[in-house]
Amino acid sequence: MDDETDFDVIIIGAGFAGAATAFQLLKEGIEGDRILVVDRGEPIGSKNLTGGILWGRELDDFEEFLGNWEMDCPGIERAINHKKVGFLSSEDALFVEGKFASWDGTGGTEEPSQRASWSVLRAKADAWMAEKMEEAGIFVMPGMKIDQLHIDGLDPESYTARDLTDPAEDSGEGAAQKWKIDNFPKELVEKIRNGKIRGIVQDGEVMTSKMVVIAEGSNSILTRTYHFDSMLNAQSKEDLLLGVKEVIHLGKERIDERFNCFPGDEERPPSGMAMELALSLYRDMAHEAWKEYPVTDGLYPRCGGFFYTNRETVSCGIIVQLSSLPSGIHTYDLYQAFKEQPAIAALIEGGEAIEYGAHLCPEYGLHRMPHRFTRDGALVVGDAAGLVFANGMQIQGMNNALHSGKLAGKAIASCIANDDVSAKALDATYTKSLKASYIYRDLKRFEPATKFLNNPANFTWVPELVGKTANRVFREIGEEKVPAEKVLRQVRKEMRAKNKANKKGMGLFGMLKLALTGRKL
Amino acid sequence: MTETTKLGLFTYDVKNGLGLIGYNVDDHEHAHIIVDTKKCGDCDSMMCVWGCPAQCYMFRDVGLEEMKFQYEDCVECGTCFLMCTDGALSWNHPRGGFGITYSQG
Repeated sequence: MDDETDFDVIIIGAGFAGAATAFQLLKEGIEGDRILVVDRGEPIGSKNLTGGILWGRELDDFEEFLGNWEMDCPGIERAINHKKVGFLSSEDALFVEGKFASWDGTGGTEEPSQRASWSVLRAKADAWMAEKMEEAGIFVMPGMKIDQLHIDGLDPESYTARDLTDPAEDSGEGAAQKWKIDNFPKELVEKIRNGKIRGIVQDGEVMTSKMVVIAEGSNSILTRTYHFDSMLNAQSKEDLLLGVKEVIHLGKERIDERFNCFPGDEERPPSGMAMELALSLYRDMAHEAWKEYPVTDGLYPRCGGFFYTNRETVSCGIIVQLSSLPSGIHTYDLYQAFKEQPAIAALIEGGEAIEYGAHLCPEYGLHRMPHRFTRDGALVVGDAAGLVFANGMQIQGMNNALHSGKLAGKAIASCIANDDVSAKALDATYTKSLKASYIYRDLKRFEPATKFLNNPANFTWVPELVGKTANRVFREIGEEKVPAEKVLRQVRKEMRAKNKANKKGMGLFGMLKLALTGRKL
Repeated sequence: MTETTKLGLFTYDVKNGLGLIGYNVDDHEHAHIIVDTKKCGDCDSMMCVWGCPAQCYMFRDVGLEEMKFQYEDCVECGTCFLMCTDGALSWNHPRGGFGITYSQG
C-alpha cells in the first residue's frame, strides 16, 4: 500500500508555530488523529524561553480550541498597556514612556480599543497549548527529539544525525565550515538535501507522513541539516542574538503597586509594562577586555535590555548581538551590568530570582532568510525559518510564528487535498502566502532598520550623549540656563575630547549617516 | 567571586543562576555536546568561553592550560556552536526528555 502513511502531517515542535499549524489543519478539516505533534521537551514547554511579548491577537482565530485564552492560559501573563523605550548608560537613564488607554481594550477611546500585547512565559503557555491540542484530538508526544527525517528510498541507517551536524575531521582555523557530510558520497548527500521527505525517524524507527512541518524554533538543527537554511550559515554569528534573562519573583501586589498596574478582574487580565532599551553600560568592561584579549580589540558589545512584568514575576534580561561580543566578557556579566544599573535595580528591588536562562533569537531580516521554506513533503515555520522582526522599538517573533503556522496549515491542507505536496505546490501556496503576508512586508519595509540597529553608535555614544544632555537640560544647579541644543553641542564636544573613539564616531558625517538610517525605523 | 568590585565591572553569579533551573542530566555516553579539546589549544579568542551563558567552557580565563568542558549545566542555546572557529564542536540537542527543564520560560 504505497499511499498509506501513519499520519497526514507530523509537526516537529509544539511551540506557537507548531501549535498554530496543528490548529489550522483541524480548521481545514484534517482529522486530529491524522496529526502528530512531537516535542523534545518533557513536559512540553520546558525547552522554551522567550524575551518575551506576544503581539497581536493571532490566537483569537483558534477560539474554538482555546476559548478565552487571554484569561485562561497560565503563561499569558499581563496585558501590556504601558510601554517604555529608552537609553541606558552607566549613570543616566532616559525613557520615552507611554500609557495607552486604548490598549486596555475597555472601549471609549478614539484609537481602536483592543488589548494586543501580553507578557508571556513560554514554559507555562506551551504546556497549556499542548493540553488544548490534545483536547482537540491531536496526538501530542512530549520528550521526543527528532534527529532525522525519513527520506523516500533512503535507509536512515546510511547516515547518522551527527554526520549531518559535525565539522569535518580536518576542519579548523580557516576551514571551520567544512562538514563531515561533505565527504559523503554525492548521491547520498543529494538525497538528504533534495529527496522527498516522507516522515520522521526516531531511534531507527520510521514514522511516515504526507507532510513534515519543522517548527523547532531558533537553533533548528533540522532546518540546517536538511538544507532549508544553508550549512554555510550554521556557524555564522551574524544576525543571531543571545538573550539572557532572569525571571524575578516580586509578588503580584508588589508588581501592581510598583508598576501602577490594573490588578485584573473577572473579564480583564491584569495590565503590565514592557520596556526595551539600548544599553551603553559596557565601556569599562570592554576596555578591560581589550587590554587582556587584544584579539578582539575595539569590539564593543551591542546589547539591548528588556524588562517585562508578568503576573507574579518580572522578566529581566539582555539580548546581545553575538558578532559584537569581544573576548574577555561573559554574556552573563553583560546581564549583571544591566541588572545593577540603578534604574533597573530599583525596579527589581526586594525581588528574588527564580529562574535563569538563555536562548538564541534569529534576527535574520530579509537578507538572511532561509534559501527555501519548502521541500518535497516538508516546510518550515516560525523561528526555525528565522521569521523574527526587529526594528529597535519592537521585537516580534511569536505572532510571526503563529501567523506562519496558520499559513502553513492552510497550504498543507489544500496540497494534501490535491494530492500534491511537492516543493512546487507548497511554494505556490505556503511560500507565496508567506511572502504576501504582513510578516514579509514588515521584514521588507524595515530591512534598512537593521543597518541602523547594528550601528555601534547606538550602543556607545548615543545613549551617553542623550543621557548627559537630558541630565543637564532637566537639572538646576544654580547656573545660567542654556538651550537644549547648546547643551547637546557642549556634551558632544566634551565626549569627543575625552574619548579617542568618540572623536571619529561622533564626527558630523557619522552623526548624519546615523540620522539618515534612523529615519527608516 | 574574589575579584574586587570596581565601578563599571560586573560579575554575575552564574552558578547560583544555574542552580535555579531544573535538569535531567543524561549519562556521559549520551552527552549532547562533544568537544574535541585538542583543537582548542591554539585558539586565542575562546569565544565559546565568553559566549556560553552557562559557564560550560573553562580555559585560560580561569588559568587552565587546557580547555575544560562539561555539558551538565548546558542550557541548550547553541551559542558555543556558532562561536567556535576551530571545528571543535559536535553539537546536538540532548535526547528527548533529558537536559534542561524550564518551569517559567
